[in-house]
Amino acid sequence: MTTDFVDGRMRLTVLGGYLGSGKTTWLRHQLHVGRFGPVHVIVNEAAETGVDDVLLASASGLTLLAGGCSCCTGRQDLIDALRTLCDQRSRVASDGQRLHRIVLETSGLADPAAIVAAIQGDPVLVNHIVIEQTLVVVDALHSLAQLQTEPLGRRQIGAADRLILSKCDAVDLAVLTQLRAILRTLNPDALQSAAELGAEQPLPDLPDNAQAPPLPPLSEDDTRGPIFPTRLKIDANIDWSAFALWLSALLHARGNDLVRVKGVLPTPAGRLLLQTVRKVVQSPEILPAQDNQSEDGTIVFIGRGFRPEDLQKSLRRFVG
Amino acid sequence: MCNACGNPAVPGHWTEAGAATPGDRLRARFHRAGLLDKVLRPYGLTAHDGGVVPGIQLSTLSGNQSIVPDLSAVWAEAERLLGRPIDPLDPVFLNDD
Repeated sequence: MTTDFVDGRMRLTVLGGYLGSGKTTWLRHQLHVGRFGPVHVIVNEAAETGVDDVLLASASGLTLLAGGCSCCTGRQDLIDALRTLCDQRSRVASDGQRLHRIVLETSGLADPAAIVAAIQGDPVLVNHIVIEQTLVVVDALHSLAQLQTEPLGRRQIGAADRLILSKCDAVDLAVLTQLRAILRTLNPDALQSAAELGAEQPLPDLPDNAQAPPLPPLSEDDTRGPIFPTRLKIDANIDWSAFALWLSALLHARGNDLVRVKGVLPTPAGRLLLQTVRKVVQSPEILPAQDNQSEDGTIVFIGRGFRPEDLQKSLRRFVG
Repeated sequence: MCNACGNPAVPGHWTEAGAATPGDRLRARFHRAGLLDKVLRPYGLTAHDGGVVPGIQLSTLSGNQSIVPDLSAVWAEAERLLGRPIDPLDPVFLNDD
């Protein structure tokens, strides 16, 4: 889309979903196939290390908001970033090449509804930006377990206009139908679709009589403590195989508490992008070299049930 | 293969993805087996990778042996033999002494 919308305002798509559900994978594919046309992408990461910006390099513009989730602690940063975009756009003549679309990829810890409310409540942004839709990526493999225990997971589902189911190939049809019935109970209006590594996948009609097993009630204050991000700098004397050894043991023992691990490691094969969701490790990817590699060797752990300082100690003592 | 994301990726366990050439792969296998053996010995297990046959050989001190394909399988097998998982966040790895 290269012409202005009739009302002259930009269209914003909010892309949400739980940690590791496949938001960046989906967006990366959509950028590759040009679904949004020229688009500015804003990526929010709860941790202070950005990884996703490397993967989304094919956007026309990219803003990385790292170090604070934009539905709570990083909200002002998001508002400021959006205002900057509005400002820049206002400086371009209306017949010039102006920005029309923005995609905001939220952090996996964000409640999209809170972000939508914050943008719509801002007196400047409301005149420049229309929130077109809220997409929420749902991990077919892990969602059933998440929705049993995580209030955030349920809030994210509730905030969606459209639910995109990812990793459907990893579960059998009965489980998928059960999950979809639960999603329909949580958010009856949301359209459901499926994507495999970002590419649209056909989804059979959900039978009207599909039964959703009831979800246990959840209280807001979780006894297991909050999920928090931790950054771990890998010592220069610990090589990638030692790190992989430690991480594989850690995932085996603590995978259910380690919701997400990601980062880039220097290896003989090149810059290795590592990403895990609970006990599942995505097949690693070798990234091209780039000018700024200062974040290489810093791995982000998002989870609960451990003390942040213990990770460094454990890594050193386990394989050091 | 998709140009955007590079999937499907090369086969192999994720812990082996850092080595691209045959030489690097073999070096990494020996190195990993050495590190693994050091971790497992206090638990009464040993690990060996001769680099000839695929997989990692695990042995108990009483001589029971099994060959497992990759590190994920090592930790699962160790848990089976010990009755509990080897947890890197176990206080034994955290105490300063």
